[in-house]
Amino acid sequence: MTDYRLVYYSANRLNGTAEQKEADIDTILARSRRNNDSVGVTGALTFSDGYFAQVLEGPQGAVEVTFERIQQDGRHSDVHLLEFVPIADRTFSNWSMAYVGKAVEGSKLAGLGATTGFDPAKISGQQLFERLRDLLLAEQAVA
Amino acid sequence: MQYALAQQSYSPDLVDQQQTGIVLLDHAGTVLFANSAAETLLLGQGCQNHPLAAALEGAERLGLLHPHSSGRILAAVAGDRELQFRRRDEHTLRLTMGPGLGGTRLLEIADVSKVVETILSQSLDPLTGLANRVGLLAQLAMDYAPGQEPTGALLYIDIDRFKGVNDTLGHPVGDRLLKLVAERMANVISADDMLVRLGGDEFAILLKASAIVPAAEALARRLVDLLGRPYLVAGHMIHIGASVGIALASGDGQTPEDLIRSADLALFNAKSEGRGTFRFFNPSMADALQQRRALEIDMRRALALKEFSLVYQAQYAADRSRLVGFEALLRWNHETRGAVSPAEFIPLAEEIGLMTTLGEWVLRTACMEAAKWPKGMSVAVNISPVQFRSTALVAVVASALAASGLPPEQLELEITEGALLNNTAQVMDIFTQLKALGVRFAMDDFGTGYSSLSYLQKFPFDKIKIDQSFVRTMPDSHDSAAIVRAISALGTSLGMTTVAEGVETEDQLMRVARDGCMHVQGYLTGRPVTADLATQLALATIGEEND
Repeated sequence: MTDYRLVYYSANRLNGTAEQKEADIDTILARSRRNNDSVGVTGALTFSDGYFAQVLEGPQGAVEVTFERIQQDGRHSDVHLLEFVPIADRTFSNWSMAYVGKAVEGSKLAGLGATTGFDPAKISGQQLFERLRDLLLAEQAVA
Repeated sequence: MQYALAQQSYSPDLVDQQQTGIVLLDHAGTVLFANSAAETLLLGQGCQNHPLAAALEGAERLGLLHPHSSGRILAAVAGDRELQFRRRDEHTLRLTMGPGLGGTRLLEIADVSKVVETILSQSLDPLTGLANRVGLLAQLAMDYAPGQEPTGALLYIDIDRFKGVNDTLGHPVGDRLLKLVAERMANVISADDMLVRLGGDEFAILLKASAIVPAAEALARRLVDLLGRPYLVAGHMIHIGASVGIALASGDGQTPEDLIRSADLALFNAKSEGRGTFRFFNPSMADALQQRRALEIDMRRALALKEFSLVYQAQYAADRSRLVGFEALLRWNHETRGAVSPAEFIPLAEEIGLMTTLGEWVLRTACMEAAKWPKGMSVAVNISPVQFRSTALVAVVASALAASGLPPEQLELEITEGALLNNTAQVMDIFTQLKALGVRFAMDDFGTGYSSLSYLQKFPFDKIKIDQSFVRTMPDSHDSAAIVRAISALGTSLGMTTVAEGVETEDQLMRVARDGCMHVQGYLTGRPVTADLATQLALATIGEEND
């Protein structure tokens, strides 16, 4: 069965101190990894000032169900679906949900927007996907 | 929902008379007699000569009844009231009290589970499993029962652009989308609220909350946001929106019907104010609707009364050397309203299905007039997206040309991008057939909407009309000037004529001419004039050229 790739970004409604936000993201990641594992979805997530950006890969139905759960999550608002296309191969097949941001540790929460040049008004699904992939590769090099 | 059923009358065939329990009680509440059905349904064996209370408490202890049920039952019996309740096994019993022989009292026990199921199934929507209109009415009937003080709010919710999904992706996808819509709504209401599918893409929520106005507003806001987020169904990305109308039970409706009408009116307002938004009901909405109805009635009569007319605005070569044609513009002069703005009546005509008839009249009238003009002088006629949706347009245009004798190349149909947006295959087909007749096409208001270059490539337009907003702001805005230049260049390279609309000053005329625009139209070169004047002007032009 053909896999699909979905790319979106959303404004986030996380409040609190940097530590609280970090804890919130850890919770989100843990739950997302658990959920994704059970339905065969992989992907990557990033978080910058005010935005989530995420790539999901997997069987069409599983990606749709996962995305719908995200849509109904009160912590997102203003969700922009950039891309939903069939793909030949997965890029993030080793990650139930990779968190992109470690490469820019220190400025992880405050500066990712600047570091990644993530400007939601201008980016396309393909560009966002490529950026997440490149950041992840950079992180692996660091690690 | 089971509490609504007290209102319903039962059809006898659904209640098994053989299975009706009969209990005779004395004045102190002792069971004098109980038939076997009564024992099976409620009391258990050996209840005779014991207090009813003891039998019921026994049933509670044995787990046949929910805790505290016996108290409610005894109170109803003592008060001679009818009572309906559920046993723990989900069977629904109905108790009725009446006088028995010799000062005794008769308690009848009926198992009405089948009735309940039947009524429930009539009040549920099969697709989403939500309550339907019947269910909503039953709930409202209880809220508005005598002695009740209705509270809460009724929200009417309409899905914007749902029809397009059904039309393009098919009903199975549409149905799955509706389920997701219902699910998203169900997740943001509380257990006390009632979510209803009224039918099609219309939903309602009966909201119970203490601070009802802020609660209703918060929910409406949330719904507009949540339902407007993209959906994924069967591999398709789907974008729809939601409009919400809100009516308050405490003030916007004396009866359930009133409340529903108010919520519906508020929804209508939300939709007409651009969709993707919410509105609280206010009484002026009813007035506005009344006015709209009056306008609608007047407009339907206007065609017969010949209150519509066409005026013609001249189009010149940008160097003013030559009159090239006219755009026909629709006017409505009502005997008491005076001149009604097209911005007011055209959308209404489109909505009430009058646009096709009106549009046909415009086409025929304009062709008749233009047939009097010299050869090569064009008449531009605006075609509404509504007209462009039907293949009937091709026959109407052919017939208007034949009846008037106007050469097809002198008729120019002006359409906006909006006309091309939906249902592209059919639209392409209509476009192609009209082109085959020999008529020309102008893209109206270019630059304001999507300004999609792919439309220009896909549909061979003859002319692009640059929206007047750019021309008007040209002396001050570099951006506008750049846009006019870009569109002109685009037109030249695609072999399309460009027309600047709304030219009002010499300065603007000089600028659009310099920026490469080929034709101009506006108050500077000519205000709209009557058909007679336009024809005189057209004939005089030829005279000048022959001088």
